[in-house]
Amino acid sequence: MNISINPIVALLIFPGGLCLLAYGLVYEFVDRKLIARFQNRVGPRWFQPLADFIKLLAKEEIIPASVNAALFIVLPILALAAALTAALYVPMFGLQPAYSFSGDLVVSLYLLSLMTLCIGLAGANTGDRFSLVGATRALTQLFSYEAPFLLAMLGPAIALGTWNIGTINSAAAHSWWFMITQPFGFLVALIGLMGKLELPPFDAPEAETEIVAGALTEYSGRGLGIFHIGRDIELVIGLTMISSFYMGGLSSPLDFLWKTLVLLLVTALLQSLFARLRIDQTVGMWWRVGTILVLVQLLVIIGGQYLAPLIKPLIGG
Amino acid sequence: METKHEPEKFIVSIGPQHPALKEPGHFEFTVDGEVVTNATARLGFVHRGMEKGTEARNYVQDLYLMERVCGICSHVHAMAFALGAEKLAGVQAPPRAQAIRELVAELERIHSHLLWLGVAAHEGGFDTLFMFSWRDRETVMDLLELISGNRVNYSANVLGGVKIDINDTQRDALHKGMDFLEERTHHYMKVVTEDETFLGRTRNIGLMTKAQAQLLGAVGPTARASGVKFDVRVDSPYAGYADFPVKLITEPAGDLEARFVVRINELYESYRLVREIIDHLPEGELSVRMPRRIPEGETISRVEAPRGELLYFMRSNGTDSPDRVKVRTPSLCNWASVLTLAVGHKLADMPMILAGIDPCFSCNDRMVTVNRGSNAENWSWEDLRKYGIAYYK
Repeated sequence: MNISINPIVALLIFPGGLCLLAYGLVYEFVDRKLIARFQNRVGPRWFQPLADFIKLLAKEEIIPASVNAALFIVLPILALAAALTAALYVPMFGLQPAYSFSGDLVVSLYLLSLMTLCIGLAGANTGDRFSLVGATRALTQLFSYEAPFLLAMLGPAIALGTWNIGTINSAAAHSWWFMITQPFGFLVALIGLMGKLELPPFDAPEAETEIVAGALTEYSGRGLGIFHIGRDIELVIGLTMISSFYMGGLSSPLDFLWKTLVLLLVTALLQSLFARLRIDQTVGMWWRVGTILVLVQLLVIIGGQYLAPLIKPLIGG
Repeated sequence: METKHEPEKFIVSIGPQHPALKEPGHFEFTVDGEVVTNATARLGFVHRGMEKGTEARNYVQDLYLMERVCGICSHVHAMAFALGAEKLAGVQAPPRAQAIRELVAELERIHSHLLWLGVAAHEGGFDTLFMFSWRDRETVMDLLELISGNRVNYSANVLGGVKIDINDTQRDALHKGMDFLEERTHHYMKVVTEDETFLGRTRNIGLMTKAQAQLLGAVGPTARASGVKFDVRVDSPYAGYADFPVKLITEPAGDLEARFVVRINELYESYRLVREIIDHLPEGELSVRMPRRIPEGETISRVEAPRGELLYFMRSNGTDSPDRVKVRTPSLCNWASVLTLAVGHKLADMPMILAGIDPCFSCNDRMVTVNRGSNAENWSWEDLRKYGIAYYK
C-alpha cells in the first residue's frame, strides 16, 4: 500500500512518533497478557503499560552521585531516538517505509543494536555492582546474538538481491514465504529478536533473582520509562521486520496486524516455555548452533544463486 | 612508586533486601567475572527473641508462640514443642491425636515442598513452573483450611493431643485433593527431569557428595539428595509415624536435580501417607489431660520438618513455664553446604543453589549468644527488650 504522507507528520505522528509509542504499548500489553494466560494468571488490563509509563514519567528521577549525569540522562533518550528512527525505514502498518535508500537494512539493524549498546553503557556508567554485572552480560549477549541475527536478516536480502527494506518487503510478497524456503534463518531471526529484547529465556542481563534489574538497576522515573518504551518500540520494529522478510511481506495494515500478532504469540509461547539460560549457555548456544545454522543457510543461498543459471537451461526453465 | 597492587576484589553483595530473597539475609559473593570465588553469609536480621520469650510465658502460651517461629512449617514447631512438653510431663497423647498430628505434618510438607518447587523455579527464571506449582499449592492450602480453619498457622496441636478432628466430608475432600495433586506432581516430575533448559540449570550444579554432606552436617532433603540415609521420621518415629511408617527417600546424585527429585518423591510419599491415615484413622479421644506445672527435667524433641531435622531442647523447672527452650532449625545446618558449594559456580547459579536447601531465614534467626569475652551475660526478657529498643533507635 502506498500513501504519501507529509514527512513531518510521518516523523512525529504517523507512522513514526506518537502512533508508534501507542503501538509499542499495545504490543507490550498483548505480550504480557499472553504470557500471563499461558502461566495461568489473569494478567494486566489493557491500559496497564500506559499507566506504568505515565507513572514512571511522573516519578522523581534519582541520579546517583557516582555517575556522569549528562550520560545518565542522554542514554535513554538516545536509545528511544534510535528505535524511533529505525521505524522510519521499515514498512510500519503495512505501508511503504517513510524513508528509504539502497542500504537501509544495515542502518536499521544498527539502529536496533544501539538500544543494547545504550543499556550496556548505562550500566557501566553507574558504580553499582548489579548494574556492572548486568552491563557486562548485556554486551556479552549482544556479541553472541548480533552476528547470527544480522546474517539471518541478510538471507532474504541476498536471495532477492537488494538491501533495501522496502524493496525486500514488496518482492517478498511475490515469492514463496522465506519462512518456508529459509527456515533456519527465520528461527534464528525470531530467537535473535528475543535475545535483543532480553526476553526470557534470554533475560540473564536483567535476571531479577541474581542482579535485581541488571544494567538499569540505578534507573528510576523518566529514564527507566523511556528505556521501557524504547524496548516496546523495538519489539514492534523487530516483529515488523521479521514478518515482512520471512512471512511474505506486509502489503496492507491487515496483513501487518495478523502477521506481527502471530509472531508475537509465538514469542510469548517461547518466553513461557523455558527456564532462564545462563549467560555462558546463551553465548554457547548462539555460536555453536545459531551461527552455524545461518552460515550453512547463507552458503546454500549464495551457492544456489551461482548454480541456478547453470541448472536452469538443463531443466528447461 | 612502590605501591603494591592487591588484585581488586569484586564483591556482589546480595541482601538484606534483594528480589531473590523472600526473607532478609546478607550474602557476599566474591566474583571473578561470573565465577564465584568466595561466599559469606550474615544472618540474624529477623531475630525476634522467641526462645527468651518462651521463658516469660507458660506452656500453653508458648505453644502458640512456637507455632509462629516459621510461617511455612508452623505445625512441626508446635508439634515438636508439644511432644517435648508431653515427654517432660510423662503424658502420652492418644493414638488418634498422634495420627492427626502426622496428617497435618504431611499436608504441611506437601504445601512446603510445592512452595519450594515454585520458588526454586523462579530463582532459575522459570516463572511458568512457579505459577503452576503455586496454583496447585492452593489445593493443599484449602484442605488445611478445611480441616483446621487456618491456611498458615493451623494451630492443630494442644498440649496432650490435638484440637481438630477429621469428619467424612473432610475425608472425601482430602482424597480428592490428593488425587488431583498426585496427577499434577507427575507433570512436575516430568518437567524437572526432562526439560532441557531446566536441566541445564540443575544437572551437575551444586554437586555435593555423601561424604561432604555428612561433613558439613546437612540435613533433610538436601542431605538425602546426596544419598545420606537420614530421616527422623524413619530413624526415631514420633507422633503417628510408628503406626503409619514413611519410606526413606534418597537420591545418589547430589546435584540440584537430585534435590528436586527427592522433594517430588517425598510429595508422592506424603500423598500416600495422607490417604493411609485418613482411611485408617484410629478411634478414640483427641486429647488427654495435661498438668499445668511440668515436673523438673530436660528433654530433646526431634521431628522431621519439611526442610530437615528440627530439634527442640527443653528444660523445665517445675513451674508452669519452661526454664529454657532451644530451637535448632534445619536451615541452620544447611548453610555450611551452601557457602561451600557456591565456590567455583557461576553467579547465575547462586540463587538456585541458595534455594536448593530451601532456606528459611526467620526460622534460624532467633537467639544470638551475647558472650563478650569472660563476662558472659544472662539476659532477662526485660533486658533483651530494652536492648532491642536501644539497638534499633
